[in-house]
Amino acid sequence: MEMAWGGNPFEKEKQMSLYIHIPFCNSKCAYCNFISFENNDKQIPKYLDALYEEIDERGKEYKDYKITTIYIGGGTPSILPEGEVDELMQFIRSRFTILYDESVTIEANPKSLTKEKAKEYFNAGINRISLGLQTDNPSLLKLLNRPHNYEDFEKAVEYAKSAGFSDINADILLGIPNQTLRDVKITLDKLIKLPITHISAYGLILEKGTPISKSIDTGKLKICNEDLANKMYDYTVKRLNEAGFYRYEISNFAKESYASKHNLNYWNRGEYLGLGLASHSFVNAEHWHNTENLQKYLKNPSDCKEDIEKQTLKTAKQETIMLSLRTEAGLDIREFNREFDANFMQDYKMQIKSLLEANLITIQDLVVTINDFNVSNAIIEEFF
Amino acid sequence: MNERQKHIRNFCIVAHIDHGKSTLADRLIEQTGTIAKRDITEQMLDSMDLERERGITIKLTPTRMKYIFDGEEYILNLIDTPGHVDFSYEVSRSLAACEGAILIVDASQGVEAQTLANVHLALENKLEILPVINKIDLPSAEPEKVKQEIEDVIGIPAMNAPCISAKEGINISQVLESIICEFPHPNGDENAPLKALIFDSYYDNFKGAVCLVRVFDGSVKIGDMIKFMQTGSVFDVTEVGYFMPRPTPCEELLTGEVGYICASIKKISDAKVGDTVTFAENPAKEALAGYKQVQPVVFSGIFPVDGSKYAELKDALEKLKLNDSSLLYQPETSTALGFGFRCGFLGLLHMEIIQERLEREFNLDIITTAPGVSYKVYLYNGDMIEVSNPSNLPEVGNINYIQEPFVNMHIFTPPEYVGTIMDLCQSRRGEEGNVTYLDTSRVRLDYKIPLNEIIYDFFDSLKSRTKGYASMDYELSEYRTSKLVKLDILLKGEVCDALSLIVHADSAYNRGKIIADKLKDVIPRQMFEVPIQAAIGGKIIARETVKALRKDVLSKCYGGDITRKRKLLEKQKEGKKKMRSLGSVQVPSDAFVSILKID
Repeated sequence: MEMAWGGNPFEKEKQMSLYIHIPFCNSKCAYCNFISFENNDKQIPKYLDALYEEIDERGKEYKDYKITTIYIGGGTPSILPEGEVDELMQFIRSRFTILYDESVTIEANPKSLTKEKAKEYFNAGINRISLGLQTDNPSLLKLLNRPHNYEDFEKAVEYAKSAGFSDINADILLGIPNQTLRDVKITLDKLIKLPITHISAYGLILEKGTPISKSIDTGKLKICNEDLANKMYDYTVKRLNEAGFYRYEISNFAKESYASKHNLNYWNRGEYLGLGLASHSFVNAEHWHNTENLQKYLKNPSDCKEDIEKQTLKTAKQETIMLSLRTEAGLDIREFNREFDANFMQDYKMQIKSLLEANLITIQDLVVTINDFNVSNAIIEEFF
Repeated sequence: MNERQKHIRNFCIVAHIDHGKSTLADRLIEQTGTIAKRDITEQMLDSMDLERERGITIKLTPTRMKYIFDGEEYILNLIDTPGHVDFSYEVSRSLAACEGAILIVDASQGVEAQTLANVHLALENKLEILPVINKIDLPSAEPEKVKQEIEDVIGIPAMNAPCISAKEGINISQVLESIICEFPHPNGDENAPLKALIFDSYYDNFKGAVCLVRVFDGSVKIGDMIKFMQTGSVFDVTEVGYFMPRPTPCEELLTGEVGYICASIKKISDAKVGDTVTFAENPAKEALAGYKQVQPVVFSGIFPVDGSKYAELKDALEKLKLNDSSLLYQPETSTALGFGFRCGFLGLLHMEIIQERLEREFNLDIITTAPGVSYKVYLYNGDMIEVSNPSNLPEVGNINYIQEPFVNMHIFTPPEYVGTIMDLCQSRRGEEGNVTYLDTSRVRLDYKIPLNEIIYDFFDSLKSRTKGYASMDYELSEYRTSKLVKLDILLKGEVCDALSLIVHADSAYNRGKIIADKLKDVIPRQMFEVPIQAAIGGKIIARETVKALRKDVLSKCYGGDITRKRKLLEKQKEGKKKMRSLGSVQVPSDAFVSILKID
């Protein structure tokens, strides 16, 4: 039995991020396995009621914490009726103590983001907006069952910009079945021309049970070949680099100073509190998540924790390694040794030796970084 | 001649698997009023699952029953036998302790491979055979037909054989009466010095080795100083008794009786099956016939996946040997797998039981190399060496010729499968012998076939080709010269000694290709390319490649992914731990045996 480890015994300045989940969409994308529901007019008000209840309760519970970042994700937060996001933000601010220089992000869909909503969000104090593009190619968009086209996206960016947003992220997908390297090139060329400050480029993950995964199983669609997927990634890194977007994590690229503070908190193994259906939390050395069952959540939003797991020294080390090696900044050996009272170079001597020999990692100034993110999983696994 | 011996009957039950041996035994025990409970010795308890899967019954301890017939009381001793060909020596010693054998034949299946094998063993031991036709309650039962088959195939009278249903309890008393009327009674000299046969033994943590004996001459009691004639060891008897079925101590074991002797024997290897027990002073002149040093037939290397667990493996093998004197092992080193043991088993089943017990009871992660046989290698300089580890095969230049063990195999099958069985045997270098049509629905095929061709998946192949209808049995025959070569497997250019095999020259090329192909599927992709080569005497005969891993990345890892991802990596790492690093190549432990699959 491993002993529980971690937590903040000295009550130093406690900080954490907030994540709020809005599990509603107008349609489900072909690759999505997130918790989200369609046809929601009746559900949304009930959900918001429950959410407010939870926020109220948690605000009391965590009154000693200062909130550093807020992220409203989903689903599609932007399908909430006008005015709801503003109210939500106000309510959060009234219940939690937000740090002055906070980062607040909202996810929006190019189809549902109207000029008015963009204004609403900005005025509610949201300072970062994340838009899902995936690709500019219309047939690929159809394959993915995305509800918008490229023009919708351009318009959405325009609305965001004119509403006042200077911090704008676009999500794109690499390795879509039928996608070519040229498709990727074109998408990137277009994006670079827009006033975008951050790009998340994800390799498509085929989740069991999703329509796209089924199509691949039945042979209707062909999976993107491994080498091509790698080429797409490598090309993306190169192209975005040229355009001033620096890769700071496996899938995340940002112009100078526009890295996502909220996500960096995850990769630094910081604390975060999840609000809403299925949201995940990590506070006081404990991991848990809210129920994924909507009815359960509606019934008992403040008390529906599941899979509570206390952190142990072993899991803490594993997480630190797993998360920090995803970033360009890498794993700081001195920090690691200090936090875990360990001797990194000794404890992982064998792995370090063979990884260095195979030129898969670099150790410089007591920082470990992965050389080829394309095989990052296999490298990280060595340390487990 | 003492009247007492006239009222004893010592017998066993032999049968093909599933013909009803255990059920009949249970019925006999019930009907004689002996407590009807299967007394299971500790050693059997844990291998139960595996034996059940193989259709082998758990051994009964020899049970003493009492039965009144015609106004007189008789003592009936039922001695159980292990049902599998791997343990034929033990079967033969158990038979030697009896005067009679009940031969059970399933009324719907008729005479089958092991029926025959067991009958021959019984006849060899000069037992009186009483055929009993079982399962007459089944709609497909044809007792008259089976009686005729017994007379024709086995050559013993069967027309008056009791027809019973052990399951339904029909006609059991007929069996009991036949035992008394048909089987001879023991006829030993009560005044001669003790002469008792050890036909089985097990280890008890408190009593030491417990010897199951049949007293042929004389008698034995507590305090007697006994000597084991083959090993020469001397012990003081601490307890004697019989099983009812629980061990029941008594004063003395008399001539003609079956029971047990305890004598604070520390090692089971001192209580050898087949040995003769006599008195230390005034011993019997001659030991009983039939004692044999147990010879292993199948060999394989057993290595701990984690090298640091070597001592635990050694300890486990020692403990297993406590109750299994037929398990032989000695330390062995492999360049690829490090320190381990070369183990000898009575057969594949024996090997599998030991493997399972090491894994389940002792919680060890082990790698077993491909099971092989022992070859007689004749060198030019006149020497002959026995080689059971392919890596120990001498330089080709020094070898004059190699001999391998052959077996006489008997296969019983419905006629429609004869063709496919012949194909199978031929593909395994089998030499066709007699083909006998027993009746319209059954054929017997005799083959002489090399042992190394059947030790792995022959039986499974036979079953699948015949939809389970065929049965087989074999006994060791002789060693014959064959054109044998060593097949080496190289990973990343280095010979991996743990994967080497000795194969027949004619099939070497094919085998090399199949193995390289299999390994390509079994070895997971690594961070570099893994060339797999099969070679004979340095010449590469087959080549495959495992492509390097080029993409293994998780593109998203945010709050909700962290725990899930961490657990997944942990699980994958656990899986990798079951692999062995050969040079720098990670190979899963079951790769070593999987390379043997031919079909």
